[in-house]
Amino acid sequence: METDRKEIYRYLGYGVHPVDEETRKLVETCMEELERAEAHKAVMREFPLTVTEDGFIDGGCFRTKSRNLLKNLGGCDRILVMAATLGAGVDRLLLRYGKLSVSRAVVMQAASAAMVEAWCNEVCTGWKRAYEARGLYLRPRFSPGYGDFSLSCQEQILNGLEAGKRLGITLTEGGLMMPSKSVTAVIGVGAYKELCPVEGCEACTKTDCLYRRETKLDDIRKEMEARHGNM
Amino acid sequence: MGICEEIRKKRIFFDGGMGSLLQARGLKPGELPETWNLSHPDQIERIHREYLEAGADVVTANTFGLNRFKFKEEDGYSVKEMAAAAVSHARRAVKAAGHGYVALDLGPTGKLLAPYGSLEFEDACDAYKEVVEAGEKAGADLVIIETMGDSYELKAAVLAAKEAGTLPVFATVTLDERGKMLTGGSVESVTALLEGLGADVIGLNCGLGPIQLLPFLKCMYAVSSTPILVNPNAGLPRNEGKTTVYDIDSDTFAAAMKEMAENGASILGGCCGTTPEHIKKTRKLCFSLPLPAVEKKRRTVISSYSHAVEFGGRPVIIGERINPTGKPRFKQALKEHDLNYILNVAAAQQESRADVLDVNVGLPGIDEPKMMADVVKELQSVVDLPLQIDTSNIKAMEQAMRLYNGKPLVNSVNGKREVMEAVFPLVKHYGGVVVALCLDEDGIPDTADGRIAVAEKIYETAASYGIGREDILVDALCMAVSADKNGALTTLETVRRITEEYGGKTVLGVSNVSFGLPMREHINAAFFLMALKNGLSAGIINPNSRAMMSVYDSFLVLTAQDENCGRYIGVYGPEEEEKKRAKEREKQENARIREEERKEAGKKAGQETGKEEKKEKGKKEGEEIGKKEGKEAETGAETEKDKGSAEAVSSLKKCILRGMADGARKAAGEALKTREALSIINSDLIPALDEVGKGFEAGSVFLPQLLMSAEAARAAFAVMKERMAADGAPVKKRGTVILATVKGDIHDIGKNIVKVLLENYGFQVLDLGRDVAPEAVTDCAVREHAPVVGLSALMTTTVPSMEETIRQLKSRAPWVKIMVGGAVLTKEYADSIGADGYCGDAMDSVRFAMEYV
Repeated sequence: METDRKEIYRYLGYGVHPVDEETRKLVETCMEELERAEAHKAVMREFPLTVTEDGFIDGGCFRTKSRNLLKNLGGCDRILVMAATLGAGVDRLLLRYGKLSVSRAVVMQAASAAMVEAWCNEVCTGWKRAYEARGLYLRPRFSPGYGDFSLSCQEQILNGLEAGKRLGITLTEGGLMMPSKSVTAVIGVGAYKELCPVEGCEACTKTDCLYRRETKLDDIRKEMEARHGNM
Repeated sequence: MGICEEIRKKRIFFDGGMGSLLQARGLKPGELPETWNLSHPDQIERIHREYLEAGADVVTANTFGLNRFKFKEEDGYSVKEMAAAAVSHARRAVKAAGHGYVALDLGPTGKLLAPYGSLEFEDACDAYKEVVEAGEKAGADLVIIETMGDSYELKAAVLAAKEAGTLPVFATVTLDERGKMLTGGSVESVTALLEGLGADVIGLNCGLGPIQLLPFLKCMYAVSSTPILVNPNAGLPRNEGKTTVYDIDSDTFAAAMKEMAENGASILGGCCGTTPEHIKKTRKLCFSLPLPAVEKKRRTVISSYSHAVEFGGRPVIIGERINPTGKPRFKQALKEHDLNYILNVAAAQQESRADVLDVNVGLPGIDEPKMMADVVKELQSVVDLPLQIDTSNIKAMEQAMRLYNGKPLVNSVNGKREVMEAVFPLVKHYGGVVVALCLDEDGIPDTADGRIAVAEKIYETAASYGIGREDILVDALCMAVSADKNGALTTLETVRRITEEYGGKTVLGVSNVSFGLPMREHINAAFFLMALKNGLSAGIINPNSRAMMSVYDSFLVLTAQDENCGRYIGVYGPEEEEKKRAKEREKQENARIREEERKEAGKKAGQETGKEEKKEKGKKEGEEIGKKEGKEAETGAETEKDKGSAEAVSSLKKCILRGMADGARKAAGEALKTREALSIINSDLIPALDEVGKGFEAGSVFLPQLLMSAEAARAAFAVMKERMAADGAPVKKRGTVILATVKGDIHDIGKNIVKVLLENYGFQVLDLGRDVAPEAVTDCAVREHAPVVGLSALMTTTVPSMEETIRQLKSRAPWVKIMVGGAVLTKEYADSIGADGYCGDAMDSVRFAMEYV
């Protein structure tokens, strides 16, 4: 799994700004420590997908109402339900450095967030290939908590995957997953390929998010402004 | 004959999977299998029957996931009734089959224990006790604790089983393909923990198939002294469409189990995906195989959550620095409940390669049991080293042993009857290796014979509690050589004889020997080396001391305990390199200075000539020139001096600006040689912090840089504080700010950032942690009469609990100014829930606090 450094710097708020040497060093040593501590795992199960007349999505192991998810799963008659995690070792480091060195903690938060995304991308790419070989196409993964896909589905999904036993994922009272660097998602399986799937930040409805990925155009505009300001 | 006797006489077989068989009978994905105890009793009984008929000797009641967290009274479930029902189904099956034992099954709670999750250790323990009591009452023959991935939860379950019941306790854990538990424990660490707690059978289950588990079984067999149970999955699972299939069939499974039986497993069974067929075939292949010998390994071993430390091989370094004796700054930290200071002391010792950390927090006037519990919990969440619980307060000792995530080292017991009667029952109950001081009611014997006699008495008494001598570390006691010239020799003789004549393990607090002498390090290091040579198993020393560690590292090399000198080279190689580089730098610097001096001299000579040309020649003038030169030289010296202090200033400032903590620490130490702490703080530290803060606000400095600078400043502050505490003039605090992440929220990074910055600006920060109830925040605000409270929330779902906290604060502590922050908040939102200030970033919080404190 190769973690994109650009993503880490984006999470750290650098945008298009150059990164100084000390921070770069900090990021790299944090990555080394994280890579020693993480134990990535993932599970996936395939379920039939039915949508009831009153608009409920029945995903085999969870039932919910969500317009965003429904749109995402359009044209699919089955889904993959997945869970992935970096394991408890990462949380240990986050807790440790939250107390001993916040700069490391902040960087590790960003780096492990990028890492779990990279891990999800890797497993999804594998499944995508396997399904495409059978003439089936996977939609972008969609996680509880995005848009109107309720976070309360988390428990059903984790139970359906036996994620507690297999991956060690548990839920807090507030419905958050622990280990914290864990992801659950639903992936539609369709018989045709979407030409231009909208995924990631662009698919998210929270447009004022601090970490929203900006398009190249935005970057260029910002840089121009920055330069202009300096002139 | 009970099952514990039977397993030593014949091979016993457990049953296989339950969940997968229920699914085949219609249990839906995500549906909780325990509900079938009430809805499908016949099906449950039938599965047990099938296993018994296939040759299983133990059937596992359907109580794996049964606990009060998954089944709540308010949803109409009674854990007690369900446990009783589950056990009675199994009992009926056993009765019908005419043979078999019923095991009450305890799985993970499904909740993560604090500090990672919100479940407190004792709450986990209580939840397990509820099931254990009901299960034993309903007629279970034993308790099987299985599929444990967290050693802390495992400890809670084993303690519950032992404390709430009388049944034999079997405990098996789940490993991943690297041989690690989910929370990082190893086979060796979990074996130490379970044997310390007195489990009757230990082992492995779930997670992997028998082929993958084999090497880990071998590892467990090599280190354990307890019969081993293995219940693997039916192989590695793979999804085929909607169903889970396993990569090996029942014949291959049985063949692999045979190998298990031949490599140390006494008891065999199955887990996920295994069926009566698997058990039948396994039994057929393995029944007549001889039972593996279960030998007492007599290893002296302690553990943390992640790893074990064994005594008797490479001598163990026990870091002594977590101890207030003679340390004003440490005492101050204890009085202020400044656990962060203690954490840093721990981390520094770990960095200096301590294997174990001694923890002593005894101080007149503090509640030692509570402090000990707090410190142990905090330490084990941050450091992965095993701890040595160092106290003579029995209540504190028990608290710490109970809450400790592993098998602890306990310091200490001695030959006094009263002390042995208090300490040994704790060691027996919680497990542990205990330091035994060679003294008793008659004091410290003067001779080695006398000390050995006390050690013998302690060995014997321990044995009467069922504690083997492998769980005793004899402390031969080290007296000040300045008071008794034979002091060291007596100690060394005792160490040698305990090692040679008794095969015992020894420990010494080394530094006492030099008491009353100058340059104590010399004596300490020499004595340490001598003790090592006489067989010392562990030294309680200051690992930050170069002299001690260099003696230790050299000893390992010279006694062939450092393969290829790898450890030595690893530590001292880079140091040598750095030395060379420093020399090279010095050479270059000297050359540069010489070059500059040469140039300067040339320039000056030129100038002087020019001036002289303008001046009229004459003796008087010549004298004047002489004076002038003198004056110039003087001014030059002054400038040089100014430049010197200015450089010290700028070097501290520079380190802070660049975020270099080590550099800042050193520069602060340098600056303190010539200046007052307060002046350094006001003219260097604060301005540097302000500069970085401004840069952050302007967008030219980013969060990691801001924080690295804050930490560098903190490192410099720590040096100042140490000095001021030693001078008896603690740093004056600006005022109190209470910080908390609100109830339900476990994201505390934002709060931690704010904390570091506020502390640097001199505020006394009371950090209540994360997931803090509104009442706890309000109570603290009232108690401390704090002027400012900062609340953080990251999740939309937890903003209501922030609102509630604010409501309670306003009503019970109306003077308090409340600042809030967190990803989901906005200025408008903050206003609407009644906060006095919204902090968009960490610097905002500093400004807010400055305004109101």
